Amino acid sequence: MPLLKIDNAELEVESGITVLQAATANGIEIPHYCYHPALETVGSCRMCIVQIEGMPKLQVSCNTFVGEAPPDKKIDEKYDMVVHTQTELVKQERKNVLEFLLLNHPLDCPVCDQAGECFLQDYAFKFGNAHSRFEEEKRVRPSEYLGSQIVINQNRCIMCTRCVRFTRQISGTGELFVQKRGYDFKISALEDQPLDNLLAGNVTDICPVGALLSTDYIHKNRIWNLHEQPSVCQDCSVGCNINVFYQKDRIFRVSPRENHDANGYFICDIGRYGFHRFEEIERVTSPMRRDEDELTEIQWDEAIKVVAKNLSDAKEKIVFVASPFHTNETNFMLGRFQKGFFGALPLIEEEGITYPSGFCINGDRSPNHRGMNDVCPSILEDMASEIDQQNIKVMYILDDGVDRELDQEWKEILMKMDFVVVQSYALTEVAESAHIILPGLAPFEREGTVTNDQGRVQWLRPSLPLKGKARPDWRIIMEVVNTMGQQELSYSDVGEVLAEMGKCFPAYKGVSLFRLGDYGLSINGKVESS
Amino acid sequence: MSDFQPILTEHIHQKECHTLSFYKSVGGYSALEKVLAMSADDVIELVKASNLRGRGGAGFPAGVKWSFIPQDGEKPKYLINNADESEPGTFKDRLLINKTPHQILEGMIVASYAIGCNTAFIYIRGEFFKEYQLLEKVVAEAYEENLLGKGILGSDYDLDVVIHRGAGAYICGEETGLIESLEGKRGWPRIKPPFPAIEGYLKCPTVVNNVETLSNLPHIINRGPEWFKSIGPEKGPGPKLFCVSGNVNRPGVFEEPMGIPLKDLIFDLAGGIKDGNELKAVFPGGSSSAILTAEEALSVNMDFDSLAEINTMLGSAGVIVMDEKVDMVQACLNIARFYAHESCGQCTPCREGTAWLSKILSRIASGDGNSNDIDMILEITDNIGGLIDFSKGSFGKTICPFGEAVAWPVRSFVEKFENDFRQYISQEESVA
Repeated sequence: MPLLKIDNAELEVESGITVLQAATANGIEIPHYCYHPALETVGSCRMCIVQIEGMPKLQVSCNTFVGEAPPDKKIDEKYDMVVHTQTELVKQERKNVLEFLLLNHPLDCPVCDQAGECFLQDYAFKFGNAHSRFEEEKRVRPSEYLGSQIVINQNRCIMCTRCVRFTRQISGTGELFVQKRGYDFKISALEDQPLDNLLAGNVTDICPVGALLSTDYIHKNRIWNLHEQPSVCQDCSVGCNINVFYQKDRIFRVSPRENHDANGYFICDIGRYGFHRFEEIERVTSPMRRDEDELTEIQWDEAIKVVAKNLSDAKEKIVFVASPFHTNETNFMLGRFQKGFFGALPLIEEEGITYPSGFCINGDRSPNHRGMNDVCPSILEDMASEIDQQNIKVMYILDDGVDRELDQEWKEILMKMDFVVVQSYALTEVAESAHIILPGLAPFEREGTVTNDQGRVQWLRPSLPLKGKARPDWRIIMEVVNTMGQQELSYSDVGEVLAEMGKCFPAYKGVSLFRLGDYGLSINGKVESS
Repeated sequence: MSDFQPILTEHIHQKECHTLSFYKSVGGYSALEKVLAMSADDVIELVKASNLRGRGGAGFPAGVKWSFIPQDGEKPKYLINNADESEPGTFKDRLLINKTPHQILEGMIVASYAIGCNTAFIYIRGEFFKEYQLLEKVVAEAYEENLLGKGILGSDYDLDVVIHRGAGAYICGEETGLIESLEGKRGWPRIKPPFPAIEGYLKCPTVVNNVETLSNLPHIINRGPEWFKSIGPEKGPGPKLFCVSGNVNRPGVFEEPMGIPLKDLIFDLAGGIKDGNELKAVFPGGSSSAILTAEEALSVNMDFDSLAEINTMLGSAGVIVMDEKVDMVQACLNIARFYAHESCGQCTPCREGTAWLSKILSRIASGDGNSNDIDMILEITDNIGGLIDFSKGSFGKTICPFGEAVAWPVRSFVEKFENDFRQYISQEESVA
């Protein structure tokens, strides 16, 4: 392996990687704009220049490859390459590039959504000049819509072409292109093909400056007001890693979080804007009981008692309906009911898409289908006929939530029940059929683990506070189980449930929130129930 | 008048000199026959031995460029004839295409054979429409005579030639910009490495040679590398077409040996300065080269190394002559505007810098200059194209040499004719 020296750091790196990659992987900052690890290198911004011993010109580090030097060409008899990122020449050259980039820039940070997470701002502060020598008239162009949710502020654009390359190499849709030439350049979308593909939102993330903006977030808040919670998208079984940006009880933005074992660098717009569908729904925030045709609020104690009594009376003639929308811990907890059958509603499926880059949106729109199957006792294949054969009249449902639409068959099944308990966060169709509703948590409030279609267990972390009297779903089930007197469960948090789950299912043995961390763990091929 | 016997342009004054029958009557395609009996390696070695350097601008040794083509790979190899002649002050390739197209084609077949390519392209400047039509005819003629196509002249060597018209961008003369354009994309030069010899057209090994470079090949094959090296300086020898334009009495293309004194070119061949005026400045190699003062011009020889020694270049040998009546500020502005207009806009320094330069220059030209402007222009040119000091290597700061192509002339204007600029500025300041 070549021995590389960058400033004072000696690094053994893989042959064939670039100086920029070597530096980044080892925590050495080389500023850059046009380079993005997911995109082909163009080397046009000229910001990542470094000085390399033995080369007369400054080199762009994004396209300078490290290789083994022949013995007589080693520097100091051991280094294959010696790179300087902090010499006066390099510093001056960065200043020069930044000066060029800022010539026509409107310097409107105070009203720019990117401020606070802008590489032009950051690098200008860190490496640039404090004042401009530019006395001429600036290039001023109007902002434009590139797609229904993407706006470009042409004046802030630095022409790194990341967005253009994204639509060509990642989404493969090619809506964006550079219009005109040189100084008059403009990023445009094809007239008859606006930037409306399901990956479009990513261009706002990869834009290193404030040029590309999502209409969903524009002028709504400032980034420094927002909390950033690493979590997992719950809109399909890929389990993309995300960062949820929220303030108090409101989410403002969801953006992708890099994880090469899950989503790579990107997320789709279904997951990006999906949080809005939980904002306007009618929430259930207190336990409810159906009296005649009306739902009335009742106390938790009473609700749990009623549920426990009805479940106990039904003996084993109960169906517990698990949910691929809920966490492993909640589904696992459902399995603590000792008598009864376990089932699930039919999958919610839509068309899956795989993009040329390999990025995919799974047709299975539940986040935890794999996990539910892993941690629930044998789920009935044909729940409907089992219900008929066994003459089951009691049902305990973990509600899938707002995405679940009931088909006629299921409406009829529910009509036949004498007693239905639904654990839900909203008055969904399923909840409407309940005799008792136990208020659980909505997606961005839940904590636990989910297992994606590749068998990767990931940590779902909450960003929003509990609403009203709602309780964590696993805890509700625990209380019902305990009240039935079958067992005495006493888990104080999700981590303890997870630990217990590991004892019952070897694949999950040793999985802890701490070990899952930000990127999760793969349990592929290890699943078998004990 | 020069007593040099032209080689590339020997027959251009004959009627029908562009036809196949004429070309054959003066020994055309005899080099091809010789080459087909040689091994490809031998052809490369022969051209290497001739020290033929590229005539497009950079002056890279042609044989060496060919030898970079990997011979063992499975990918097809391509030759591209760069006929996108767009450097201001350059009009030699157009002459060659019009008068000796078969000489070019023979050169192309020789080069293709040497690098093992079976499909070659002619990328011709969009504005050369008549020339394009002519080349189409020439290529069709060659197919008919089995000079192209399958089993050329009874050998087992196949070659197809495809002509592609450019769409009028200066940058498409840069070889990787040309390749992108040929692939149907925007003409944006590519970052190197990989070089075209490894990954060029369609990511396959590709050689891009200039029209004039290719035209030399039949003669090198026929008369040998030693003969070729005997013409002009040994390190960059051969006949050379010089395009002389500007304030001279007899502008035109002159074929002379490499290394001819610029003075002879201007005062002898081109008939001297118009209206008996004094010489003021000369671009020796198209508008991308650093400009020479009259004094420099009178003492320099026109070859790669002599011009590099005084920090300019032979480039495309587009000699633009300016007399004392030329307003250097306006001329410089003209150049800067041209480059700002033609910058492809990829690289930050070139995109922003060229426009900035032309804005400052136009401010100076309109009388609003100030005394800081001179130093600022010099700094900006350095920031776009790097220092003009060939001994330290060219400090290129952009993907392609376009950055230098604007920085060098503009810097040389301001440096060498600073007083002309100061006059514009001081006029204004005194008025103020």
